[in-house]
Amino acid sequence: MRPTILSPGARPGGHRNRATVRRLAAAAGLVVAVTLASTSSAWAAGETVGGCVLEKVAEAKTEHGSLDAVKALPSEELGELEDELEGCIESPNPIFPALDEIIWGGLAFLILFAFMWWKGFPAVKRAMDARSEKIRADLDAADTAKADAMRTKTEYEAQLADAKAAAAAIVDEARAQADQLRQDLQARAEADIAEQRARAAADVESSRRQAIDDLRTEVAAIAVGAAERVVGASLDADVHRSLIDGYIDEVAGAGSNGDGS
Amino acid sequence: MADLAASDRISGYADAVLAVARAEGAQAEVEDELARFADALRSSDELQSTLADSDIDVERRLQITEDLLGGRALPATAALVSLVVGAGRGGELVDIIDATIDRAAAGRNRRVARVRSAVELTAEQRARLAKAIKASAGLDVEIQAIVDPTVVGGVVTEIGDDVIDGSVRSRLQQMRAGLG
Repeated sequence: MRPTILSPGARPGGHRNRATVRRLAAAAGLVVAVTLASTSSAWAAGETVGGCVLEKVAEAKTEHGSLDAVKALPSEELGELEDELEGCIESPNPIFPALDEIIWGGLAFLILFAFMWWKGFPAVKRAMDARSEKIRADLDAADTAKADAMRTKTEYEAQLADAKAAAAAIVDEARAQADQLRQDLQARAEADIAEQRARAAADVESSRRQAIDDLRTEVAAIAVGAAERVVGASLDADVHRSLIDGYIDEVAGAGSNGDGS
Repeated sequence: MADLAASDRISGYADAVLAVARAEGAQAEVEDELARFADALRSSDELQSTLADSDIDVERRLQITEDLLGGRALPATAALVSLVVGAGRGGELVDIIDATIDRAAAGRNRRVARVRSAVELTAEQRARLAKAIKASAGLDVEIQAIVDPTVVGGVVTEIGDDVIDGSVRSRLQQMRAGLG
């Protein structure tokens, strides 16, 4: 199975992840608001010097009825009030915050923790699960793609081997055909040469016989011509007469022998 | 068809020539002169071709016959030859003469034996040869002697389609065939 390549917008679970992110962002905003609220509560509880002084003065006024009554207090009570006011001026402990801060901070932490446990952690867990699932799916897809690639490679190698075998077979067949063709051509050429030789020999023989016949005919013509000339020259009147008389006697003799021709 | 027409034409001319010769009362002389003229034509291819050549004016051909026969033959003979040549049948003149002689001999219940020899036969030889043919073939023949140097020696006798060849030429041809 080949891996499926998806665009970011088409990735499976993308819409769910975006909703999770939005929920996480809302939770973080709520945590910040709660923190600011707790911080303002801490400030209202006298975290600043001015606030602390005002608070002490207000408490003294409330306790004694008015500022004038406070001013009229005995020196010992004024001294205590002055100590309380100086306590406001003193710097806070750098290691341990004030108790109210610890309470508000712890409360805020618990609320925030509970909220995060309630909303954030499942969202993160789902996101991680989705991420893990995606990674697993990607790994599976990669494995599948790898298997597909290996299978494809195997098929390709098999096809390549088949192609090589087929090519080798074709080459062998072509070589065999070429050899056969060469042998045929050679045999045909040899046959043609033999035929031409035989024909040439026959032609030579025919020409020789023709020449002999022509020569014989020519010799005969010459001989007969010579004989004619000799005979013609040797035939005088007596010989002619003798030949004619002999002919007449033969014709007459043929009649006496019963031969009509 | 052409040969048949030529044969009929030759027969017609032969009958006419023979009728004229009979009408003139000189059949034997005319036959003899025609036979000699035919003999002269056979011995000269140039003369035959000249008389048969249609490209030569008829007057010229007639003048040739007149030169050959005028004063040497009977007027009837010359007139008959001129008749044939003037009709444009000079090429068939020899055949017409032979046919005429054959018809004349047939009228006497005889056949014509054309005897070719290198030298002219004597009258005694002609008579003996006629007797020999009578004895051998049972035919009464009239000898038409033709001098033909190509015979070389001896005699060749033709009676119709039958040939009795006793010539030196035939002996030489047989020798040539044997050598070839």
